[in-house]
Amino acid sequence: MAIRNSGNMSITEEFAAKIKRDNQKERIMKLAPVIVLFALILIFSIVCGKDFASLKNLVAVLNQLAIPLLVAIGLTFVIMIGGIDLSINGTVGMAASLVGIFVMNNRFTQFNLGIGGILIGILSSVLVGFLAGLIHVYLRIPSFMVTFAFMYVCKGIGLLSYSGEPPTILDPVLAELPKKSFIGIPFITWMALIVLGICILIQEYTAFGRYIYAVGTDESILSAVGVSVKKVKVKVFTLAGLCFGIAGALAAIRLGQGQVNVGEGLMFPAQAAVVVGGTSLAGGKGGVINTIVGVLVMRVLSNGLVLMGVNPYIRTGIEGIIILVAVALTVARGAKVISK
Amino acid sequence: MASNKTVDIGKRMRLQEHLMKYFSFSAIVILIIAFSASQQNFLGKANLKTLLSDSAPLIIMSIGMTFILILGSIDLAMGSVCSVANVLTVMVLNDIGPSLSSPVLAAFLALVVSIIFGAFAGVIQGIIHVKLKVPSFIASLGFMSLWQSVALLITEAPVSVAKAMWPAIEWVKVTFGVIGLPLILALIGVAILYVIQNYTTIGRSLYSIGGNERASRIAGISVDKVKISLFVVSGICAALGGYFLAAKLRSSAPRVGDSFTLLIVAAVALGGTSLSGGRGGVLGTVLGVFTVSVIQNGMNFIGVDAYWQNIVFGLFVLAAVAISVDRSVRGLVVK
Amino acid sequence: MANTIDNKLLFSAKNIDKHYAATHALKGVELDVHEGEIVGLVGENGAGKSTLLKIIIGAESPTSGEMTMHGEPYDPKNPLDANANGIGMVFQEQSLIVSLTVGQNLFFGHEREFSKFGIINWPKVYKEAQQVLEEVDISNINPRKRVNELNFATRQMIEIAKVMNVTRQAGDQKCLILLDEPTSVLSETETKNLFVQMRKIAAKGHAVIFVSHRLDEVLEISDRIYVYKDGASVGMLDTKDASEIKLYEMMVGRTTSSEYYQIDKQSKPQEEVILEASDLGLAGIFKHINLKLHKGEILGVCGVVGSGKEEICEVLCGDEKPTSGELIIKGKKVNFSSPSKGLREGILMIPKERLFEGIVRTLSVQNNIALSNLKKLSKFSFVSAAKVKKQALHWIDQMRIKTNSPKELMIQLSGGNQQKVVFSRALASECDILILNHPTRGVDVGAKEEIYTLVREIAALGKAIILLGDTLDECIGMSNRVIVMKDGLITGEFDSGIYNKPSQVDVVSLMM
Repeated sequence: MAIRNSGNMSITEEFAAKIKRDNQKERIMKLAPVIVLFALILIFSIVCGKDFASLKNLVAVLNQLAIPLLVAIGLTFVIMIGGIDLSINGTVGMAASLVGIFVMNNRFTQFNLGIGGILIGILSSVLVGFLAGLIHVYLRIPSFMVTFAFMYVCKGIGLLSYSGEPPTILDPVLAELPKKSFIGIPFITWMALIVLGICILIQEYTAFGRYIYAVGTDESILSAVGVSVKKVKVKVFTLAGLCFGIAGALAAIRLGQGQVNVGEGLMFPAQAAVVVGGTSLAGGKGGVINTIVGVLVMRVLSNGLVLMGVNPYIRTGIEGIIILVAVALTVARGAKVISK
Repeated sequence: MASNKTVDIGKRMRLQEHLMKYFSFSAIVILIIAFSASQQNFLGKANLKTLLSDSAPLIIMSIGMTFILILGSIDLAMGSVCSVANVLTVMVLNDIGPSLSSPVLAAFLALVVSIIFGAFAGVIQGIIHVKLKVPSFIASLGFMSLWQSVALLITEAPVSVAKAMWPAIEWVKVTFGVIGLPLILALIGVAILYVIQNYTTIGRSLYSIGGNERASRIAGISVDKVKISLFVVSGICAALGGYFLAAKLRSSAPRVGDSFTLLIVAAVALGGTSLSGGRGGVLGTVLGVFTVSVIQNGMNFIGVDAYWQNIVFGLFVLAAVAISVDRSVRGLVVK
Repeated sequence: MANTIDNKLLFSAKNIDKHYAATHALKGVELDVHEGEIVGLVGENGAGKSTLLKIIIGAESPTSGEMTMHGEPYDPKNPLDANANGIGMVFQEQSLIVSLTVGQNLFFGHEREFSKFGIINWPKVYKEAQQVLEEVDISNINPRKRVNELNFATRQMIEIAKVMNVTRQAGDQKCLILLDEPTSVLSETETKNLFVQMRKIAAKGHAVIFVSHRLDEVLEISDRIYVYKDGASVGMLDTKDASEIKLYEMMVGRTTSSEYYQIDKQSKPQEEVILEASDLGLAGIFKHINLKLHKGEILGVCGVVGSGKEEICEVLCGDEKPTSGELIIKGKKVNFSSPSKGLREGILMIPKERLFEGIVRTLSVQNNIALSNLKKLSKFSFVSAAKVKKQALHWIDQMRIKTNSPKELMIQLSGGNQQKVVFSRALASECDILILNHPTRGVDVGAKEEIYTLVREIAALGKAIILLGDTLDECIGMSNRVIVMKDGLITGEFDSGIYNKPSQVDVVSLMM
């Protein structure tokens, strides 16, 4: 029998071999997202030819990158602590709506606060993140449930804020922004890249960044050195709220309208991007840099499929399948693992 | 003393259960009084009829979700399974119906197709969740997007049921007093699930798995089988919801289920089913559905912006979950 | 070895008592540690070593007693407090964050000391990490390497370095390092290496407390050895005066009177073999397990934690799939994919962790009893509520379960009564083979005795039992036959008839 081939190994050796196999697998899984990315680029370059492999298309991809990237970054931190944030569609939509209302627009002239309006939009999302974190941590409600509820609360607030008719942004500076670019990269993408840089800095160069990894690995490690797990978790949800808020503000600026619908369909690709990038749902592994690869995979895929003329509904379906496959490949299994 | 503490926890669990039950009950009563005080016609026959018949699809779907939540899992794909069943129903009626001998036969065929689809959706989601250990909220999220695209691929725009087929959906209009046939059928569904829940091996296993999955496994319960069967039940319930909606609206709408996800979770949570699993039941959910319906209907009636609904139900879910969640196990890490 | 007892006293614990709800875990324990000394702690499972360590590191507080460190009264509120006093511990379960680098792990929780405006100066961290690593002589490791790329021995050394570092923060005082079973995952050469490091640490005047199940290792590395049993210190030896035999004799628990385990009621097993395992193995855990279980037999499995005995139970009941060998039940080769399949063949486990694996707290007593035989209580999968209740009443009466009604929630029962419910469930299932994994864990003395009676009765009915005892004494006292395990292998087998019970020393010497 094949299973007996380890017959002459001692138990410690077997154990060590098992660990070695796991490590090898992990190393492969680490490289997988990059390989997938290059494979996709190669395939689409062959199938779509010049349409895909052109500077013009590259700029187009970069153009679409900003908001999915921001959302995915925020989500990455939450997933790294083993939680999940389902509120994205709502919080982004709410932030966008409020930005629309509180800057110069065609409907609510009395609220023109300029930059302050943008801040209000972002802050609303930060607040929601903070509250979701607090409720999750202190009332001990699973994060998916808290954020699920908040998704709807935020959507409601967004819709209610402009009661049905989204305001068009008239602020001359903001209206011009989407068209501006710097060394070929649009302003909005720059904003996303700056946030990305800050998040990498937070993750790699602050104590908080280290604690995020620790919470995801084993919460007791933190208590042993006297760091409050609860505070770290609340901070993570707040940081995620900040990322979603900025995404919402940029989405409103790009669209020229404060609309709750800009949040629609954001959560799903973001979840897929984070997981595809190699951040495990169990927490403690991965990070923002992995997510960049994940977002690129999702964007390239979507862009390539568009160029191939694939029906948009099939594209969402494919996203669904990708997330299932990615999670199924990375999730822990075994008799004692209980998944709810 | 340790023993005192355990008694306290037991008492608290009972208290929580009562709290949720009476919360729903009193919420219904207070809301009805409040709404009818402000609007004379609220308790009128016409409104009562809409209120009761509107709640039928929600009841059907919510009782399916109840089982899933008792397991401690969640099924976010119910809304889109409902949408697919909805468009399938209308497709069967319009495309195959005319070639059949009678519209009733077409209605029956559509029903069978819906149920088969719902069961199929439940089986594959259940298998992926149970066998591959993909957390249910992620698995169902994946299927949510999958089925949403399937529904939109079948029909992008709403399609009305052909006039010739109207007899096939006439049954929704049958009423006995203020109670319509859809509600009666939904309540029959409740009765069936109530029997499953309380009198069958699957139902008993449901509560033990929800209460302690590891212990249930060690005790020799076929945990995987039970869980998959329950996902099948929830899939069928979602599909039936879609079938009901097709008949009620006389048309298909590929996104009809989207708005239901929140309402379903709200209804089940308000009905006292604990998210941590192991407690609750379909009867509570029926109360929860009526609470949701009364609020919905009342808000429409007194002319509150529909936009409030998301906020109100979102907050309700939070409140209900906060009350019913089990915080007695200290070491448990909540993710 | 230097005579370290003349050195300055570093740490001392006097008269430490610790009560948990039903158990008296520590009874007036004493421990002295001098500077530059390696002290070994030995004892059976449950002798109180782990509890003592937890108290020293501040993870638990003693019910009474006093401790001193550097001659000052010492009463840590948490592990941080202990660190500040120069005491650090390497836990059995590793506390490194594998996705972070060595340096990041070493200074985990101390990042602020390297930060300016919240931004960590990593070069500085790594420079200091290099120094810390040099101190424990593993300077060949790059502190920028991620922990998951390192082997277990290196990880262990990093844990020690981490502990050295936190204690170093306490100033240039001497520190005390607690090592709980550090060698259990190490190979022989790695263990040797660890010992070299321990010696070096001690040579600098620090002290080490070393806990291990492997007596040869304790004898090799420690200067003095404390022996514990049943929560009390039974003696202290200079290592030069100690031998394995001597330690075995000291650490075995009291042999209880034969009435306690009702040995006179011990029935003779039948000839028929009901379960047979041949060359059973689970990769990396245990292998070459050959055993035969007869009808009416109580087979005791002895071994320390990590010997693989728990996992054998899991494999036998169907919770884990074996990776080699075969299992034959009632003459039929079986291959369980889950415990439900095992139940179908008549084998069921009463698990060790009652709260997490044994009972469903949210269900009533009657439903808990009916968990394993629902099918028998139902027709066409409709469960008869009357039968469930009748069955519950039968067992409540038979087992004298103290409950107000069969409908009472499980959570409202005491530990002993909960365990009786678990037993009722197992008996109601009418299984022929029961695996009792620590059946008396966490129940009070009275309930214990009732459980012993029950186990005897079950065996007399002709059922076969595999027993993992809470103590060695219990395991030997209850069983007809005892097998001993060490490091995943069967190291011995003893007949344990009414008049020829093996001595605990003999059994222990094969366990450790």
